[in-house]
Amino acid sequence: MSTSTDSPAGRSGSRSGGTNSPAGGVAWAFWLRSLNEVTRVRGALIGTSIAPLVFLLGTSGQFGRLVGLPGFPTDSYLSWIIPLCCLQGAGFAGAAAGANLARDIEQGWFDRLLVAPVARPLLVLGPVLGAITRSMVPVTLVLIVGVLIGGEVTGGVLGIVALYVASAGFCTVAAMWAIAIAVHFRTQQAGPLMQMSVFLGVFLSTAYTPQPLLKGWLEDVARVNPVSHILELARQSTVSGIDLSLAHTWPGLVALAALVAVFGALAMIGLRRMGR
Amino acid sequence: MSGPASSSPPAVSVHGLERAFKGGIKAVDGLDLEVREGEVYGFLGPNGAGKTTTVRILVTLLKPTAGEARVAGFDVVSQADAVRRNIGVALQEAAIDPLMTGRELLRMQGALHGMKGAQARSRAEELLDRVGLTDAGGRRVGQYSGGMRRRLDLAMALVHRPKVLFLDEPTTGLDPTSRSALWREVRSLNDDGTTVFLTTQYLEEAEQLADRVGIIAGGSLVAEGTPAELKAHVGEPTLHVDLAPESDVAAARVALSAVGPLVDCQDDARVAIRAARGKATVPLAIRALDEAGIAVESVEVESPTLDDVFAAVTGSTLEGATQGASADQAEVPA
Ligand SMILES: Nc1ncnc2c1ncn2[C@@H]1O[C@H](COP(=O)(O)OP(=O)(O)O)[C@@H](O)[C@H]1O
Ligand SMILES: [Mg+2]
Repeated sequence: MSTSTDSPAGRSGSRSGGTNSPAGGVAWAFWLRSLNEVTRVRGALIGTSIAPLVFLLGTSGQFGRLVGLPGFPTDSYLSWIIPLCCLQGAGFAGAAAGANLARDIEQGWFDRLLVAPVARPLLVLGPVLGAITRSMVPVTLVLIVGVLIGGEVTGGVLGIVALYVASAGFCTVAAMWAIAIAVHFRTQQAGPLMQMSVFLGVFLSTAYTPQPLLKGWLEDVARVNPVSHILELARQSTVSGIDLSLAHTWPGLVALAALVAVFGALAMIGLRRMGR
Repeated sequence: MSGPASSSPPAVSVHGLERAFKGGIKAVDGLDLEVREGEVYGFLGPNGAGKTTTVRILVTLLKPTAGEARVAGFDVVSQADAVRRNIGVALQEAAIDPLMTGRELLRMQGALHGMKGAQARSRAEELLDRVGLTDAGGRRVGQYSGGMRRRLDLAMALVHRPKVLFLDEPTTGLDPTSRSALWREVRSLNDDGTTVFLTTQYLEEAEQLADRVGIIAGGSLVAEGTPAELKAHVGEPTLHVDLAPESDVAAARVALSAVGPLVDCQDDARVAIRAARGKATVPLAIRALDEAGIAVESVEVESPTLDDVFAAVTGSTLEGATQGASADQAEVPA
C-alpha cells in the first residue's frame, strides 16, 4: 500500500508500517533518563546507601560472637554479612525502580512511553538498567566500608566479580518483581509491598545463619529459597569457607536466571494487560 | 475544506465503538465517526462525556470492549505498532518528567521514534524554535509555566512528523494568550497537512479550529457537522442593551427593532434583539439608539454556548447531560 507522499510521515521518510524503533537507541535514552534520579535528586542515594551501611555496622557489632558456633564457614561475622548487605542494597535499589514506575504510571508519564513505537519489553528493560546502575553505589559503598572495618576479601578479583554479578542479578530480580507489581496495581501505594518482598526474600534465606544452624520451618524455607543460592554466589567474595568454585557459582546463576524469567514474564503479562 | 480522497483511507474511522469500565459505566457507547485526511476534527463535549476514553482507545492506550477503530488505516488493537508510528499524542493529564530539560525531552522523544543522535538533536532545536522555547530549552521542565508545558507537549508530539495528531483538551486551563498561541500552532500544523483530532469543552475552540465538529454526550455522538451547521441548530447570538436610568424603554425598543428582531427581556431597563451578525451588530445598535437620543449604559453580545448547543441537540442542559451520562437512565417511550 502506498501512502501519499505529501503526508507528514511520508515526507520525513519514516516507514508507515509497524516496525518499532531500534532497541539500542531506545534503551540508551531510558538509561540516560534513569540517571537523573541519581544525579538530579538531592540525597537520592542516601536512603539506598545508608540503610545497608547502618545494617552492616549494627549487625556486625551485635552478632559478632555468633561465628564461634560450629557450622559457620568463617570466623568473621563481618565477612559473612558484607555480601548480604550488598545484596540487600541492590535489592532495594531494584524495588525502587518499581516504585518509580508506579509513580510514572500514576502521573501519566508512562502513557507517553506506551504510545511510542517502542518494543514493549524495552519499557521494562529501561527501568531495570537504571536500577542496576544505581545499585552499584550501595554495593560498592558497603564493600569499601566493610573492608575498611576489617572485612577480608578472600575470593580475590573473581570473588568480587561474583559479588557484583550476584548483586546486579538480585537487583534485576527485585526490579522485575517490583515492576510486575507496579503494572498490576498502578499506584504508588504498592511501594511498601515491593520493599517488603525484598526484605522477606532475604530474611527467609541463609542471610544471617548458615543452613546447618537453621532450625525448624526456617530451615526448610531457606533450603528452597533461591536467595540462599544467590547469597552463596556472592559469599565467594569474602567468606573463607565458601571457596571460589563452580559448585558455589552455578546454583546462584540458575536461581537468578529462573527468577528473572518468572518475574520478567509476570511484568510483561501485566504490561500487556494495562489497556484492558 | 478537503473532500474525502478516494485513494487514501480515512485518518480515523470508528464503528460501533464501546468501552465499559468495571462497575458497568459505559464511557463510550456505540460511537461512529470518521475523520478525513487533512481535516481538523473537533470532538466537543462536557466533562465526563467520554472524550478522553475515546482518545485513549484511538492512541492504543486502552482496548475497546466492542466495536472497532482504525487510525491512519491501521487497526488500533491488532496493528497497534503501526498506529503508534503514525500518530502524535498530547494527552490531557500526562505529567512531564520535571527533572529533564525541554531539550532533553525532545531528544529522548526522537530516540523513542528511532532517530539517530544528530538527527534527534537537530529536530529538537527545530521544534524548540517552532514553539518558542529555544531560550527555555536548557531549563528543567519543573520550572516551566502551564503554557510552556503545553507547548513543549505539542512539540514532543510532533517530533516524528505524525500523520494524525491527537490533542486532548490542549487549552483547558490556559490563559487567553497561551490559548491563541496554541491555536495558531494547530492551524499551521494543519496547513502543513497534519490531520488533527482535537477534544475540547469550548465551543469557541471548536469553532476557531475545526473543519468539522462532533458533539459527544454520554459516550455517543449526538450531532456532527461544520461549526456553521451546528450553530444554525442553536440559533443566533443575542445583543443586550442596558439603558441609562430614566431612558425611554419603549423608544429604545422601536429604535432597536430596526436593527434586529426583538427578544423578550425580563429586566425593565434592558432591551434585547437577535444579532445574526454577532459583534458586528454592536455599532449598528449604538448608532440607532444614538440617533433616537437614547442614553446607553452598556451593550453586550451573548453568543450561543456549548450549553445552548446541548439544549438544542439533546433537549437537556449541559448539566443534565452529564448526569444522564453517568446514571443509566431509562429511555423515554416515544
Ligand atoms: N478508568 C476508569 N474507570 C472507571 N470509569 C472511568 C474510567 N475512566 C473514565 N471513566 C468514566 O467514564 C466517563 C467518561 O470519562 P472521560 O472519557 O474521561 O470523559 P471526558 O474526557 O469527556 O471528560 C466518566 O463518567 C468517567 O468517570
Ligand atoms: Mg477528558
